[in-house]
Order: sequence, then C-alpha cells, then structure tokens
Amino acid sequence: MTTEVANLIFNGNTLAYLGIAIAAIAGIGSAYGVGIAGQAANGVVAEDPGKFGQALLLQALPGTQGIYGLLIAFLIMVKIGALGGDPKDLTIMQGAALMMAGIPIGLVGIFSGIAQGKTAASGIMLISKRPEEIAKGMVYTAMVETYAVLALLISFLMWMSVAV
Amino acid sequence: MEKLTVIGLSKDRDSLMEELMRLGVVQITAQDAKLTDDEWRELVAADGNEEAVAKWEGQISRVAQAIETLQKYSDMKKPLIRTRLAVRQRDFDRVMDREVEIRKKADHVLSLSDQLTEVKNRINRAETQKLSLLPWKDYDLPLSLTETKTVRVVLGAIPAASDPEVFRSELEEKAPDTESELVGSDKDQHYFALFLLKAEEEKANEVLRDFSFSRIAFPEFEGMVSQCIESCEKETEELLQQESELIKLIKTEEQYEPDLEFLHDGLIMKRDRQKIRSRLLKTDSVFYLEGWVPRMAVDRVEMLLRVKECWYEAVEARKGEETPVLLLNNAFNSPFESVTRLYALPDSRGLDPTPFFSFFYALFFGMMLSDAAYGLIITIATLIIKKKFRLEGMMKKMISMFFYCGIATMFWGVMFGGYFGDLITVVADTFFGKEVVIQPLWFNPLEDPMTLLIFSFILGTIHLFLGMGLSAYMSVKDGRPLDALFDVGFWYLLLVGLVMFLCGKMAGLLGPVPTNIGMWMAVIGAVGILLTGGRDKKGFGRITGGLGSLYNITSYLSDVLSYSRLLALGLATGVISTVFNTLGSLAGGGVLGMFAMLIAFVVGHTYNLAINSLGSFVHSCRLQYVEFFGKFYESGGEAFDPFSENTKYIQILREEK
Repeated sequence: MTTEVANLIFNGNTLAYLGIAIAAIAGIGSAYGVGIAGQAANGVVAEDPGKFGQALLLQALPGTQGIYGLLIAFLIMVKIGALGGDPKDLTIMQGAALMMAGIPIGLVGIFSGIAQGKTAASGIMLISKRPEEIAKGMVYTAMVETYAVLALLISFLMWMSVAV
Repeated sequence: MEKLTVIGLSKDRDSLMEELMRLGVVQITAQDAKLTDDEWRELVAADGNEEAVAKWEGQISRVAQAIETLQKYSDMKKPLIRTRLAVRQRDFDRVMDREVEIRKKADHVLSLSDQLTEVKNRINRAETQKLSLLPWKDYDLPLSLTETKTVRVVLGAIPAASDPEVFRSELEEKAPDTESELVGSDKDQHYFALFLLKAEEEKANEVLRDFSFSRIAFPEFEGMVSQCIESCEKETEELLQQESELIKLIKTEEQYEPDLEFLHDGLIMKRDRQKIRSRLLKTDSVFYLEGWVPRMAVDRVEMLLRVKECWYEAVEARKGEETPVLLLNNAFNSPFESVTRLYALPDSRGLDPTPFFSFFYALFFGMMLSDAAYGLIITIATLIIKKKFRLEGMMKKMISMFFYCGIATMFWGVMFGGYFGDLITVVADTFFGKEVVIQPLWFNPLEDPMTLLIFSFILGTIHLFLGMGLSAYMSVKDGRPLDALFDVGFWYLLLVGLVMFLCGKMAGLLGPVPTNIGMWMAVIGAVGILLTGGRDKKGFGRITGGLGSLYNITSYLSDVLSYSRLLALGLATGVISTVFNTLGSLAGGGVLGMFAMLIAFVVGHTYNLAINSLGSFVHSCRLQYVEFFGKFYESGGEAFDPFSENTKYIQILREEK
C-alpha cells in the first residue's frame, strides 16, 4: 500500500511539477523587493509628487526575479507538455532533473529579490536628494540582479540538458 | 580648451557681457584667489552688483508665480514634453517692447491670485465654523444667551466613552436644580446644554471635571444655531461664487502666458548679466576677466574682443592643468554622451570613452531586447518624439540614443526570429489552423543557447580587450610605455594564449602547433605578470605583488561571465512574449478567442516592452560602467558651463554668420 502511494507521488511528472512550483516561487523575492522599494517610493513621493516616474523605474527593478521564475516555470511546462493538455510520461530521472532545474532561480530569486529591493529603496532615497543621479542608483540596484541572471542561466542550461 | 584673459574699459563692460552671453562659448571663472594674492590685492577689487541681482531675482520670482497661476487654471493642453520655444531675436525684441504692459499683466494676475488665496481661506474658515455648529443644530436657544440673573447657560461635551445617562444622574444628585439636555451625539462626543443654578455652580463643576466635560463657546455667533448654520452656508456659497469668478478672470488672462514667459526669460538674462560681474575684477577704469573657451570657438571670441578694443590673450591649457570638460563627438556617437554623463564626465586630462562604447552600447541593448517588433516600436516612437518636439540637451541625446538602440533591437530581432515573440506562429495556428514559422536569419537562441552564450562571451572579450587597449594607449600617451606592456600587454598574451590553449586541448578546435603557441604565450604572459606585477613595491612585496596581480585572472573570468546577461535577458524577452501569446491563445479560435488574444497582446506586450527595455537600458549601462570603464576610465571632470542665455521658456535663434 505504502509503495503504491509512493509510486503514485514520486513519479517523473509530479517531480517536474514540483520543479515548476519551485521556479515560480522566485516571485516571493520580487514581491518582497518591489514592496520594500514601494514603501520608500511612497515616502519620497509624499514630499515631491514629481518624482513618481523616477521612483517607479527603481521600484520596477526588483520585479525581474519573478519574471525569471515565471520564465523557467513556463519552459518546464512546455517541455513536459503541461500546457497542451497532453502531458508526457517522464521517467523519475527526467522529472528529478527538471525539478532540480527549478531550484537555482527559485532559491536565488527569493533572496536576490529581497536584497535588490533594499538597494532599490536606498536608490529611491538617493533620488529624493539628487534626482539627477538616478542612473547610479539604477546601476547599484542592477549589480544585485547579476546573481539572479546567473541563476536564471544555470536553471536554463539545466532545463536544456534534459531530453524528453 | 584655451585659457582666455581679457582686460577692457569699464564703459564697454556691459555691452561686451551682452555679446559674450549671446555667443555662449566662454566659461568665466571666479577670481577669488587673486583678491587674496598680495600682488593683485592692491591693484584690483571685486566687481559685482548684488543689489541689481537681488532686484531682478525678486521680479523673476513674481513673474514665475504669475506664470504658475496661469498654468494652474488654464484650460490649454500641456504638452507631454516641455520644450523651449525658438524665436528670432527680432521677435523677442518685439515682445519685449511691450514690457511695461506685460509687467502690468503680471501684477494683475498676481493680485487676482492673492485675492483667490484670500477667498479660499475664507471658504475654509466658514466651513470649519459650520462643522463646529453642526452638532448643536437641535439646540433651540439663541447662542448669545449665556446667563440670566440666577442661571448660567453652559454648552459643552463629554467624551463618547462616558455614558450620558450616568453623567446626568450624577449631575442631578450633586446639583439637583440643574437642568441638563443632551443635544446630540457623534462618534467622538456627547453634546450637552446645561442650565446651572449659580448657587450650585461649584458642586456642578466637580461633576463636570470628573467627566472631562469640555466647555464650548460661540462668541462670534448670535441668534439660533440653525440660523447661524444657514448664514455660514450662505457665506460659503457666495465665496464659492467669488472663487469661480476669480478663476474665470484668471482664465481670461491665459493668452498672456507666452508674453509672461518672454518677460521671465528677459529678466533672467538681465539678472545673469549682473550676476556674472561678481566673477570679474575691476580697477577705476578697467575690468579684468579670465575664462575658458573651446578651441573651435576661439576665433569668434577673438573677433568680438577686437571689435570691443579689449586686450586679450588666449593660450592653450598647460599640460596637466585641469580644464572644464566639453564632450565633442560625431553624429552617431554624440547621443551616447548621455551614458557617459550619467556616470561622470571624464577627467580633463583623460579620455572621452563615448566613441569607443557607443557601438557596443546599442549592440548590447539590441541583444538583450532582441525583438524586431519592439525595435520597430522604439525606433518609430523616438522618431515621432524627435519630429514633434524641439528637444534640447540631455533629453535630445537620450531620445537619439534610443533611436539607435531601436535599430539594433530590430537587427537582433531579425537575426533571432523574434516578432512579438512567436505571435505570428501562434495567431496562424489558433485562428487559421496553419503552421507559419518565421525562420530566424541566424538561429533561435531558445534552441541553441550555447552558441549564443559563447558568442556573448566573445563579444564581451572584445569589449574588455578594447578597454584594456585604451588603458595601454593612455599609458603610452602619458610617456609610460613600459606600464602599457606590463599591465596590458602581458595580460593580452596570457588571456589570448590561455584561450588558444584551452580551445586546442579541451575542444580540439585548433591543431597542435597553435595549441603549443598558445601555451607558451600564456606562460610568458603569466611569468611577465608575476615578475612585474609588484614593481612599485619594495622587498618581499615585489613577490607577493606579482602573485596578487596574477590572481586577478579570476576578475577577468568574472568580467567575461558577466556578459552572459546578454543571453539571459534576451531569453527573458523572448520567453515572456511567448508566455503572453500562449495565454492569449488559450481561449481558442473564434470571436471570443480573438478578444482574449487582443487583450493578452496589448497588456502583455506593453508590459514586456516596458520592463525589458528598462532592463536592457540598465544592464547595457552596467556593462559599460563596471566591466568597460573599470579597465581604463578616469572620471572627475567639471562640465563646461559657458556664460550663455540660460533661459527656461524661450530660446533665441541667431543667424549663423
């Protein structure tokens, strides 16, 4: 009985679905990050509503981790045919590999999103004092994103390497 | 830049300043140092006319306020991008002939605005009064009645938390002959009217204190509450009437706003001509100024100075002397100066990096966005903006830069086969049941990402090598050719050799001879770095310094890896487009499906274009700032800031001679 249940749960397809879920939780980081930056933006805009556009640019930057997570999740879904209503039968190995492929972006996305949100928030503080220096604030914020990009790359290459 | 020194007669000063302002090519420098210099101090004094400056400042702020008032209430549509209006000197003078009249208009608008403020304050006051009366609307005695011979009338409130019944019974107990009436309650307070027998007042007051009863008085009102409220409402209504009439009056003046802008800018020029005098030195009969002129403008300035019969001298800046920085580039490169400026201007003795990275900037931007349709949108949008608005300065440069970036995006979109992602394929499949695939000109990165990854690394290596080459060039120019060899040449040897060696050994791309050459190049480079890396250190430090330099190879590795974002962000654009297209196709064919597709298309692609062009802009900047500039760039120059017509609304055109 236990073996049957185990077989039912631990097959290739459910593992791949787990990978989709893991990749998509990178959005947690973005939600936190955009939220932190948004709080700072509200404070700055309260003083000077004219800074709305600039603050919005910076606030948008930590949003990319969620996009990267979505990207990998979507790619895995395409690979296993989850979108067409005709899912393929995966071996345990294939499913496990796809699950692992979701981990880099899922995990790095969370933490880099939060860190990037904090940097974006301080960038918004920067433009409250010196709006002409927005590019510098954006570059500092983009420095954090590098690691999300690298994780995305690894997730992507892992996804590539799985033959289905 | 040439350093300009001018001595002229004081009587010519004002007319010379006016001409210099028109030319707008001389940056006049402050001469505070000379005033403390012993040799100079006895001869000259600081020029300046603070009084006139303050006078003009005051007038400018009045006119600015009038313009602001007109803009606030005007119905005229505001343009998306504010640009300066270009007029000829003749037309400007013609408007300024009516200066007295325009000033009167400004004063008129200001007085209307003051009246408006006053009316608004009174409206506020009337409304506050009405609000304070509202809880008492059921109180039916005149407000002016505060006492009779034996009874005192007290109005007031206790907090909502207290029970009004308890309050009344307590009051009745302590002061049995006192009448109390609950007039009304709201969420904060219970309002009471009390009729205290004067004989019992002290006892009653105790109760009032216990219940934190707060007295409320209306000394400014007489008569019944309902009448007072009515009169407040009437007053508000009248005031609102007045307000809208004043606004209407202000609106009738809106056609004078352009005139006020002329006046504003005319005043600014007058102020600046006085303000600049604080940078001049004077004696009884002559004035002295120093400044910077770009080399190409020297002729024009000299011609002017000859006409004005001034003594002058224009000399090349000494080697190593700091000068203001003016970036000059050709038509393709100059828009990218905005990227340089966003970082920091180059040191005046350094190198303007703009012409070296502009091509890469557009290339990288295009690779990261890599969608032909997005590129087309950006290109067309920038063209329209450039055509519709007379942009100047940084804004103009930015827009032109995005024009080139848009073209690069189209190029890479065609190479990689992205047209709103795979929109055409999806639409053809969903609505027409046909299979249409637009073949990429080169390859589809989603199918063969490794090729694009390696291509990104190669592009990155070229970019980095260019940066290192510039560093070597600067060393040679400064007369340190050996530094160029040690710090850049050896690295070239090591890195190129290493790549050749690895390609031969690991991937088998090269024959044994080039592989061996590569190995020896790498060895020579590494030994060279090891020996020379610590050359400016002493003793043991020379050895560790060399090792430390060689360890820098990890930073070259991470620099090159950083270019993987070209692939990753390019994929992001493509895949997100695909996600939205797929979402749109989920509702299937037919009218409903078409509707779903349209929504997904508009919302999805607007979002994708916005977020990913922002990303491409930022990351393309980063690749320049961190990877490229890090190799050679020396920043820290002061921007060239000529004495010119620094106006806000009007730009005066001059006929080129």
